[in-house]
Amino acid sequence: MDLLGQVLINGTLLGGLYAMMALGLALVWGVLNIVNLAHGAFIMLGAYVSLYLFTYLHIDPFLGLPITAAVMFAVGYCVQRGLLNLIVRAPMFNTLLITFGLEVVLTYLAQLAFSADFRTINPTYAGDSIVLGPVVLPLARLLAFGVAIALTVGMWLFLLHTKLGRAIRATAQNLVAARLYGVEPRHLYAVTFGIGIALAGAAGGLYGTVSQINPYIGAALTAKSFAISIIGGLDNPLGVIVGGLFLGILESLTALYIGPTYADVASFGVLVLVLIVRPTGLLGKAA
Amino acid sequence: MALILAALAVLAAVPWFGSDVLIQFGINALLLAVLAQGWNIIGGYTGYASFGNSVFYGLGSYGVGIAMAQWHLPFPVGLVFGVALAVTFAVLLGIPVLRLRGHYFAIATLALAQVMTAIVSNVGLAGQNIGLVLPPLNNDPLFYELSLGLLVLATLTVFWLTRSRFGFGLIAIRENEEGAEVMGVNTTLYKTMAFALSGVFSALAGGIHAYWVTFIDPESAFDISLNVKMIIMAVFGGPGTILGPVVGALSLSAISEFLSSEITSLASLFFGIVVVVAVVLMPRGLADMLRRFRKTGWRYFAENIRTHRL
Repeated sequence: MDLLGQVLINGTLLGGLYAMMALGLALVWGVLNIVNLAHGAFIMLGAYVSLYLFTYLHIDPFLGLPITAAVMFAVGYCVQRGLLNLIVRAPMFNTLLITFGLEVVLTYLAQLAFSADFRTINPTYAGDSIVLGPVVLPLARLLAFGVAIALTVGMWLFLLHTKLGRAIRATAQNLVAARLYGVEPRHLYAVTFGIGIALAGAAGGLYGTVSQINPYIGAALTAKSFAISIIGGLDNPLGVIVGGLFLGILESLTALYIGPTYADVASFGVLVLVLIVRPTGLLGKAA
Repeated sequence: MALILAALAVLAAVPWFGSDVLIQFGINALLLAVLAQGWNIIGGYTGYASFGNSVFYGLGSYGVGIAMAQWHLPFPVGLVFGVALAVTFAVLLGIPVLRLRGHYFAIATLALAQVMTAIVSNVGLAGQNIGLVLPPLNNDPLFYELSLGLLVLATLTVFWLTRSRFGFGLIAIRENEEGAEVMGVNTTLYKTMAFALSGVFSALAGGIHAYWVTFIDPESAFDISLNVKMIIMAVFGGPGTILGPVVGALSLSAISEFLSSEITSLASLFFGIVVVVAVVLMPRGLADMLRRFRKTGWRYFAENIRTHRL
């Protein structure tokens, strides 16, 4: 029973981080209709930005998150403005291919810049944990979980209640009408993509405090982000939280009861099932 | 037509004058071209962006691997077994997944590929994640001619598609699925058949590759990046055309081979850049560019950007 409790806790903490990883993907997909195959590569870049801030400027990885997010926002803004805006109206394959190409470019640039070694962001408190009765809460994971949930909820409030958030949602619903009301789509698309990449980058910074990173972690994280966005639905950040928690807990339970090698089978199997039964996500609106 | 036959004759003669390295490069390039051509049937003609064709390739590899390494059956039986696995997969999973459209279909097939990799690495008969070792056959010219023959067969099939009722049905589905349905096309049947046909060629390519390299494991047999490679090759050449995917596959293979022999570490990076630039400048592939470039010249590229930008 204690083991099950611990596994559920681990799954939940992991799930919060997963949710944050997927949030940017869901935002970009939902608003811009761009399925970003390079999403995981941006998470990886964010992790390296945090790592370098920590190693060379001694900025705590959690306190440094705003800087990481700001850097990644700039990267995302430029990528959308300079590149993706050029192909927004091209056929679907082409957006998939260009973001895949981008993934390859980012991965190999990272390999040239940072080498292929495994690294971790290791603040002094990395090994600390809080013991709560029978279960142990690793401090870094708990912090990462808290920040991830706070940012995800913050994102939701931002979309609902700010002028920019409303403009983004309006664009998602009807680009032409939004343009008539004075929304500058080229800028707005770049801002939206920038926000998505900033979230990915911040998630990468958190990921680096709880897991090892190297230039090749992106592809698997992209796949997980897909699973979460689809399970949770694209139109609501709270759905993404539920999707992330669901996936984190499901993976932990599968690893415990069936075997670690089946964790991916479970998450992707559920993804396929959800797609077939309810393509708009468990919490998404029916199409 | 004469040009195509001449090119084919040159290709077929490669084992007589080419070096071992060239023959080996040829086998890889031809098998990739088969994959691109197979993808063309479901992706190019039917308009369903399958990111799961690597599953067919893997099932074909494992069909041959299991038949030869575990049951000691001859190679052709293995090929048939692999094709049977691929067709079964296409029908059982194709019918529910082919109900999805657009991005959702692409992602469902990508997820299926991940699930299959994980499942196979737990199956005892398939050697789990250790893999299977096949009896060696040192005969590169034979594998080369087999691959070339398969590519010709795949291309003739696509040629037949463009003038058959079945092929017109697929194009109708790509252009307007509801309309095709109204016109009396049994869309479920057509889509499933296209998916299975696409799978047959991918499985055969996987089977030949498995016997050639004499070793398979889940990572290499179900290599997810193979999906993207075949799509890029088909789209680079021109999806929904008869020769586009072949030209795309052979030219991209040559570029990437050249780059990796000249500057190993930068080859993948450069490949990524080629993909990005090609998508921006010639989104309908080489075939379309060659056709239009004569008329419009360099403006062709600027016009592509103008049509597709925000």
